[in-house]
Amino acid sequence: MAAREYFTEHRRLWLGLCSFFFLVAAWELVLTYIVPVNPFFFTKPSLIADAFKEQIQSAKLWHDLAVSSQAFLWGFSFAVIVGIPVGLVMGWRRRVEYSLDPFLTALYASPLVALAPLFIIVFGVGVLGKAALVFLLAVFPFVFNAFAGVKSTDSLLINVIRSFGGREKDLYLKVILPSTMPYIIAGARLAIGRGLVGIIVGEFYAASEGIGFAILQAGDTYRLPDMFVGIIILSLIAVGLTELMRKLELMVAPWRASDEAR
Amino acid sequence: MASFIKARDVSLVFKSKDRQPVTALSNFSLDIAHGEFVSIVGPSGCGKSSFLNILLGLIRPGNGEIHLNGTRITGPGQERAMVFQEFGLLPWRTVTANVELGLELKGIAPAQRAERATELIKLVGLTGFESHYPHELSGGMKQRVGLARALATEPEVLLMDEPFAALDAQTRDLMQMELLQIWERTKKTVLFVTHSIEEAAYLSDRVIVMTARPGRTKDILKIDLPRPRDYEMRLTPEFNDLKLHIWEVLKEELTSRG
Repeated sequence: MAAREYFTEHRRLWLGLCSFFFLVAAWELVLTYIVPVNPFFFTKPSLIADAFKEQIQSAKLWHDLAVSSQAFLWGFSFAVIVGIPVGLVMGWRRRVEYSLDPFLTALYASPLVALAPLFIIVFGVGVLGKAALVFLLAVFPFVFNAFAGVKSTDSLLINVIRSFGGREKDLYLKVILPSTMPYIIAGARLAIGRGLVGIIVGEFYAASEGIGFAILQAGDTYRLPDMFVGIIILSLIAVGLTELMRKLELMVAPWRASDEAR
Repeated sequence: MASFIKARDVSLVFKSKDRQPVTALSNFSLDIAHGEFVSIVGPSGCGKSSFLNILLGLIRPGNGEIHLNGTRITGPGQERAMVFQEFGLLPWRTVTANVELGLELKGIAPAQRAERATELIKLVGLTGFESHYPHELSGGMKQRVGLARALATEPEVLLMDEPFAALDAQTRDLMQMELLQIWERTKKTVLFVTHSIEEAAYLSDRVIVMTARPGRTKDILKIDLPRPRDYEMRLTPEFNDLKLHIWEVLKEELTSRG
């Protein structure tokens, strides 16, 4: 009886794990016993696991990760520094909103990776070109989420600050920014995914190192297990960063967390 | 009666959603003495909350002017503070930090802020809840924070915009009693807007009944009941006569709007 209760309580975890292992096992078994495909054209979990073990012991993987992380961090940091203030001012000042909105909306809706060749030409094949691409992709979720956050700021709180003689600066620092924080962090979750796309596209297009380049090179030379290692590492990073943002959201907006719990 | 607050011919016109001009207040005049507790009752939309916001300095009247202690009001100032119906607490701040808000905006040093906040939290009976967040408090406790925050800046005039309307009936009764106790101790001038005739009669020295929109003064009733007032006073025939009287004045305005 106790075991049953335990399972019900944690079924989210258990069912998730079960389906994951079932899928991996099915993939392995089908390729081993039912349709033995030439490992040159496709691969299976056991081979990927071997490649994984080998790669995490090699210096090249860590070097590639360091190169890609550097570009990602630069681009992402600038997206935060530029995107949040632009979104805040856009949400608060109607004239800024009307002036910026048309072209920001057009850019946000467009497949910006199409600009990758341009960025590489302008900023070069090194860290700068990739960072610029990450910035371009990651900045919009910050702008638009900060904007939406300002729009949803309780006007009563604005009046409270004003009634105590608060100035424009006080409105931003004491009400608008804190009440927009949860929106900004939700934006950061989107921006992480988009920023990773920026890195990979930049490295696919023109690079001689980095995790995206490693994936491309493995694919080009038919080393499929190595290619999957790169992909798995990328998704682990994405999941880790996204979870981090969720934790951060609960930290900066405890009043929202309690709303969700109810 | 020397008037501490003097409002003359205050008018306010705003544009409604369909761009039609709506006259919220029309030639509204009012005199309030120092230390007086005055309530305003009137039909919904009669502009009583707008008047409070003009007095607070958040809205500019289209016409007319308000003087406080001889000085014309042109914006927010530290001799006035508001207690809001929906509390208006910052959800990311603790009780203490919320109470300190006004002091912080006036540039008071942190040590003095903390001292003053502790004092006011004690005054409104929230000692022990200093580091709680608003979402952890009941409605009555939230409004105690709102009251402490307003009193923290030591205003001479306390403006209260239906402060207890969002509370349940019992909490409301309790808060009214405590407000009277605090008022008797601090002797602030209070302007209190409410929908409740009973609340207005129980708390006030005078009750101003407003007309339906456009709002103007319909009648001013002096409440000559002895102070300090307790809950039992609300059960006396004199109190009920007063309530009936206010009701009869107000009723005409309510029915005239259909």
